[in-house]
Amino acid sequence: MTPVHPTPEWAHPGKSLLLPAFWVVLMLIAGGAVRLGLFVRESFAAYPTATLLALVLFGLYAVPFCVFVAALDYLEREPPLLLATAFAWGGLVATSISIRGNAAVHNLMAKLASPGLAAEWGSALAGPTVEEIAKALGIVAIVLVARAQVNSVLDGVVYGSLVGLGFQVVEDVVYAVNAVAVAGQGDQVAPVVATFLLRGFLAGLWSHTLFGALAGAGIGYLAVRTDRPLLIRVSVAVLAVLGAMGIHFLWNSPLLSLGGGAGIFGDLFVKGIPPLLMILFLVRGVRHREADYYMAQLAALGDRRIATEEELRVLAQGHLRAGARRHAHGRCGVKGRRAVSRLQRAQARLAVELSRASGVNVPGLRINPSVSPGPAVLTDSDVPPADTVVPIDPYASAAAEASGDPVVPVDPFAPAAPATSVGTSDPAISATSAGMPVAAGPPPTAVAVGVARVAAAPVQARVLGGPAAVRWRDRVLVERGRMLALGHPEATAPLTRNGSVRRVVGGIAVFLTAMVTVGLALIALGAS
Amino acid sequence: MRVARGTLLRNLAGSIGVLSTVAGLAFGLPAIDRALPAARPVDSGPYLVGGGVTVTPPPGARLDVTLTRPRDTRGTAVFLVGTVRYVIVVAPFDGSLADATQRLRDKITRGHQITGKESPTRTATGLDGVQGTYAASGRGGRYLVFLAGDVAIEVTVAGSAPALRAALGAIEASTRTIAYRGGTP
Repeated sequence: MTPVHPTPEWAHPGKSLLLPAFWVVLMLIAGGAVRLGLFVRESFAAYPTATLLALVLFGLYAVPFCVFVAALDYLEREPPLLLATAFAWGGLVATSISIRGNAAVHNLMAKLASPGLAAEWGSALAGPTVEEIAKALGIVAIVLVARAQVNSVLDGVVYGSLVGLGFQVVEDVVYAVNAVAVAGQGDQVAPVVATFLLRGFLAGLWSHTLFGALAGAGIGYLAVRTDRPLLIRVSVAVLAVLGAMGIHFLWNSPLLSLGGGAGIFGDLFVKGIPPLLMILFLVRGVRHREADYYMAQLAALGDRRIATEEELRVLAQGHLRAGARRHAHGRCGVKGRRAVSRLQRAQARLAVELSRASGVNVPGLRINPSVSPGPAVLTDSDVPPADTVVPIDPYASAAAEASGDPVVPVDPFAPAAPATSVGTSDPAISATSAGMPVAAGPPPTAVAVGVARVAAAPVQARVLGGPAAVRWRDRVLVERGRMLALGHPEATAPLTRNGSVRRVVGGIAVFLTAMVTVGLALIALGAS
Repeated sequence: MRVARGTLLRNLAGSIGVLSTVAGLAFGLPAIDRALPAARPVDSGPYLVGGGVTVTPPPGARLDVTLTRPRDTRGTAVFLVGTVRYVIVVAPFDGSLADATQRLRDKITRGHQITGKESPTRTATGLDGVQGTYAASGRGGRYLVFLAGDVAIEVTVAGSAPALRAALGAIEASTRTIAYRGGTP
């Protein structure tokens, strides 16, 4: 079983309207919007400049997070409406729930224990329990509304982090406006800026977006890995939510806090960075699993015009994709950059469409000769009966090459072997140039878009894809043609390992320097 | 376009689960909170407000534990003397007594009207401060501000006129017991 469940082709967004979960989510978001709208209206009436600044600052603050999430979500893009729903749940529903729930937990602690305990540990207890549950419900709601769109653990991470980001942005706006009110100096922007630096810049990276990502990974696992026993899936989801609660608890609690101005740095390095690194490694792992899956879809085509081995390596990782675009820009200017960008996008879409073909989620498919006459036939003795398909190992050809087994020789940008297939949907691409003669008749629902090389025998099998896959294959070929015309045929990133390390280390150094500078400034200003 | 009955039922069950949890957090927890009393009797000895400030509450006063938050560098104590609210807020402050007084006045005038003139006051431990009066429709109040060390101590007393008149003596006696770090001004 693969780590990715592609969205079936029969999945239709309109079906969500028929689900009770859709209306429940809509109702809750509308309620949260009314509540937040009232708060913003009152805040504008009392502190117009400060409120506007808070909205602008924290609105802009969300942008780099969105860019990061978009990079994570590059290969199999989630529907923007669902992403917006996740953000809205975090910002409108989870915050509304948490304002009431948090206050109640604080009060209950004071009533059942003591005001001192509530003052010391109230945030550590109320935040993780109420807020993390409220946010996790948002990810569950997304799964309920659009189950077919949650295809991998990474999708859970994406939705979870957006729920967390929405929560974080709205919570910070509320904090900023409250800081203005508490300062008692009227419509001043200084408390807003201080809140932005402290909660946004210093504490923002290991805040709700991070907690949400962890919880989302667990819930994504529960939803996607249906090949695992239910008990294990539920346990993983519960552990992930508990992990998010644990990190949140540690961050909010007085544990490991040095106190005073130096406490800012203590909190950053002891309570902030370790969970950040841990979750980033987790996200990196699930991202690679998803990327491997989609790269296998392209690799199964065995067509270097669609994607070379080096391009597959580059396409799988965000920083390499960016490096390839930079490289193209250096060689061919803006046109080169755009061509590489479009090629990468088309390759990613093609990989997704291949994975969706006919609801079969294997990297490549062999088709029984009786179904698929022509040169792409199988000679394996264990070929299944007619009208059936079997998965193949997309990397087998590489292994075969290494072991000396015969494989089909390929030209640098030629298909592995000619195949009979449907014609292109783009007139700019001739069927001949694509190596695929045009077939007559109405377009089928699942058609061959490429040829998979099979290691066991020097034969090829056609790879299925729907009409959308054909369109994206054509788009790839168009972009490839453009790149060839530019004299930059391959979208690769000639980054050396040392170059990558330098970039990462440089980025971390700049980031830490900025944090220390802001921290020192806040200490000088007397923030705590 | 239709949805299978099984899918629909599972989705309905999940939706009810989400809605129930939301209701539990947003309404259930506050309901439990409201069901428990917020005020509790307080000992007659000095009570630590926070930030190193202590006060001896008026006899018979109850503490509103939901609003009282003692901390190391700051704190809030809310006492209920009958129906009169007696609030002490301690917060770090590096300005003058006049600045601290103006800050409290600004807070008060957001919903109330300052009445009469301010006058100096002094606690039994030697903390110098300022006191004044304010009013709103049907309610009256007193405010006091002290400066001690690196904190400002804001005291507000509010209630209906008859209740305030009845409790004021005991509360004034209590405010004279306000002390910073055991009595050092």
